[in-house]
Order: sequence, then C-alpha cells, then structure tokens
Amino acid sequence: MTAGKKRLNYSYYPGCSLHASGREYDISTRALFKALNMGLKEVPDWFCCGATPAHNVDELLSLSLCAKNLVLADEVEGDLAVACAACFSRLKTAQHHLKEDDGKRRQVEKAIDGPAKIDKPVKHILEILAKEYGLARLEESVKKPLSGLKVACYYGCLLTRPPEVPELDDCEDPRIMEDILRALGAEPVQWSHRMECCGANFTLSRPGVVLKLSDAILNSARLAEADCIMVACPLCHGNLDIRQQKIDSRNKGEENYDTPIFYVTQLAALAMGVASDSLGFESVCVDPKPMLKGKGLL
Amino acid sequence: MKNKLMHLSNETMNIGFVKKVEELSGSSVRRCFQCGKCSAGCPMAGFMEHPPNRVVRLLQLGQWERVLAGRSIWYCVSCETCTTRCPNKVALASIMDALRKLSWDADGPSKESYVQLANRLFIENIRTYGRQYELRLGAVFNMKSGQFLKDLMLGPKLISKGKLKMFHSKNKNIAEIEGIFKRIEEMRKSGEAL
Repeated sequence: MTAGKKRLNYSYYPGCSLHASGREYDISTRALFKALNMGLKEVPDWFCCGATPAHNVDELLSLSLCAKNLVLADEVEGDLAVACAACFSRLKTAQHHLKEDDGKRRQVEKAIDGPAKIDKPVKHILEILAKEYGLARLEESVKKPLSGLKVACYYGCLLTRPPEVPELDDCEDPRIMEDILRALGAEPVQWSHRMECCGANFTLSRPGVVLKLSDAILNSARLAEADCIMVACPLCHGNLDIRQQKIDSRNKGEENYDTPIFYVTQLAALAMGVASDSLGFESVCVDPKPMLKGKGLL
Repeated sequence: MKNKLMHLSNETMNIGFVKKVEELSGSSVRRCFQCGKCSAGCPMAGFMEHPPNRVVRLLQLGQWERVLAGRSIWYCVSCETCTTRCPNKVALASIMDALRKLSWDADGPSKESYVQLANRLFIENIRTYGRQYELRLGAVFNMKSGQFLKDLMLGPKLISKGKLKMFHSKNKNIAEIEGIFKRIEEMRKSGEAL
C-alpha cells in the first residue's frame, strides 16, 4: 500500500466475539475507521478461526480453518484488518507455519480442497493506527484530546507472543498502545501487569482461574492510580469487565475496583469526536460514563 | 509411582513418545536443560501438579503417562510466555498442544475434564454453525458439566446488554466447513496425517 494521503482500504475479519460478547469492539472499530476515512469491508461468510480450543487439541484443524478464512479474505480488496487478538494470533500463526513447513501446507491444502492462498498481509488494528495511518496523522486528527485521562495499557498475551508470529512490537516491553494513547492526548501509566495473562478462555471451563488472574491485573492498575484499563482483545475485555463484579464480591472488605475497561477503538473514536452513544458503552458491565464525565470528556 | 526408585534404561526412556511429541509440536523436547524460566513466568504454574519445566523433564525421562494422566496440560492457558522466554528455543506451548492432542486422541486419561468438555463444545459449535454461538456454548457446558447454577445471573444480564444473542443462524457456507472436518478425518484414517 502506498503511503501518503491515499485512502487506506482494508478487508475485515471481525471474528465471533465481535459479533456477540465483544460487539462494542466491532461497533467502535467501524466508527473509528469511518471517522479516520479508512475503508473497512467485512469478508463475506468468514467463519470461526478455531481460537484456542482448536489448536489446543488439533493443530491441523486450526491451521485449516485459518487457511480457509484467509482464502475467503483474498477475494476482498485491501490488507486484512483484525481486531481480536486471538483471531489475529491464529491467522498469523497459520501463515507462519504454512510458509515454513511444506508438509503441513500440503495437508492443509488437501483439507481445504484447494490452494492455500494465504499471503495477504494480516494486520492488527493497533498496527494500522500506529504504523499505517501513522501516529503523527492520528494526533492531527484528534478533535477532543483525552486530557487528564490516566490509562493502564493492557497487552495480554497474544498481541506480542511468541514474537516471530505477531511481529507487532517488542515481546517484553511493547510501546504501541502507549504511543497511540499519547497521540490521543491521554496519559499512559507505568504498571506491572501489562503482559500478564487474564485467564483467557478459562472463563467458561475454569472461571476461578480467571477471577484470580484478572484480580491481580485490576489490582495492579489500581496501585498505578489508573482511571481505566485499555485493551485490544475481546477475551481480555470480557474477563476484566464482565467478571469484575464477581471479583469485587470475592474481595470482601475491600473497595470495589470500579475500573472501566475500554477497547482502544472506543478511546480513539472518542478522541476523534465520535458521539459517545455510538460506541457501544451501553453493552459494557462497568459503566465508564461517570468517570468520563468526571474528567470532562463527555 | 511417587515413592518408587526410578530406573533408567533405553526401554524406560520411551524415546518413541518423545519423537512423536517433537514431530507434532515442531519443537525439540530433548534440548531443554531445566533452567526453569518457563515455570518462573507461567501464570498457571500454581494450578498445576507438574509445572512446565517438570512436564518436559518427565517426557525426557520416559514418564509420559504421568504427564497425560495429570491436569497440568489442561491447565496451560496458551499464553506463550514459556515459548517466548526459553533460552533453548523449546516451544513449550506447542509441546503442550501436542500432549493435549495425544491425550485427546487416547480419549483423555486425564483427570481434568472441564477444559476438555469446553474444547469439545467449542469445536462442535464451529462444525454445526460455522461461528461461535456463545449462549449455547455456556448453556450446554453447564448442562453437561452438571453445574446448572454456574453464572446463572450473568446470562440474562449479558442478553439484556446485547452481548449474548438468543438465536444464531448458520453460515451459508456450512457445507464447506463440514468438508474440512470430513477430509481431516479421512486423512487421519488413511494415516496421511497424525
């Protein structure tokens, strides 16, 4: 894609969560792309990437599901934009493995009954904002800077690990979220749990694990005096937001966290002047509006 | 097993199993020299009876049955911290995938069933609908695991917030998805794929 003022156009793989429990991520991604005048065209008939459960027990199935989705995406113009960190990780993993391993590629091509046309670049929303749209342009486009908002940027696992797969940022000390936030006028805090796991899909099978791991993340953000946490993954969001009430109820005698969890696209769209009632705030469990009003951002 | 002396020989080392894990995972098992960095950074080590470095050591010593029968492999959350930090480039998260597959194929001698049940339902959902049907996933999980009251209040709340859909339509290309599942099954039957 050529740099400069040319309009950026992307094909789009939302993934299952963004059509359900992470709907506000989808809504705010579309709103943000519109505000920044970037094209976003959903891949028709995409299906589940297999996420963690598929590769957990059946790597060939996982690779085949991702390869077929990439073949479908190949029909749509523009690099493939992905918002969900897990879908992003699985699609990139499939590209990585199939490029390196001819044996696996042959098996996958047999499974999907056709050539694995999987070379379309897969890009996470963070990457598109920071590197393709560009931080300087992002800063110029801000209409309502998020002044005074202290944000804990939470990367979780799959945006950076293992480093040869996502190729997004440093795997132990990434900066991309903080860079975007500064461009939006907000203030990223320094904190300890940026890259610790939230418990991910154990929210269904072993919620106790999620409550413990996510509690530590929320606590760390509170110790750093963050007003809120920013994420770029629907599973991280679900565990920190939907499970927050349960975590509070287990921490007897302690003050509730009351920490709003934002998707990067919600904060970015807010800064671009998109109306707050079109960012899916009604869908989240910890209402962010009182905090935003208190900061004069609503 | 725990209190018995361990005798090492070519037979007890079970190198065949190690090689199978190495083939499936694309990672060396034998290169690990037990520095323990994987377990130091593992968010789940506290939940496991064998932390990640010990899982590898048990494999190296031919004690794979203890690994497959335990819950450690099912408590790995695939965060990839171990793989990222290993100084010997042992892709431990991929080794965990391979071990889970071997346990899964043997119809799970493991004690940990909830994670396996969740995985099974998730994959069934893909085959039936094409995309995840989260409400069904949660409801069937509770039914089949006998935890009827788990997250009971959460369901209606998430439905009212639009996060869980009551109804879910199948993908138009569901026949193509079924084709992928069928062809993989056939490849395994004919020995073309593991």
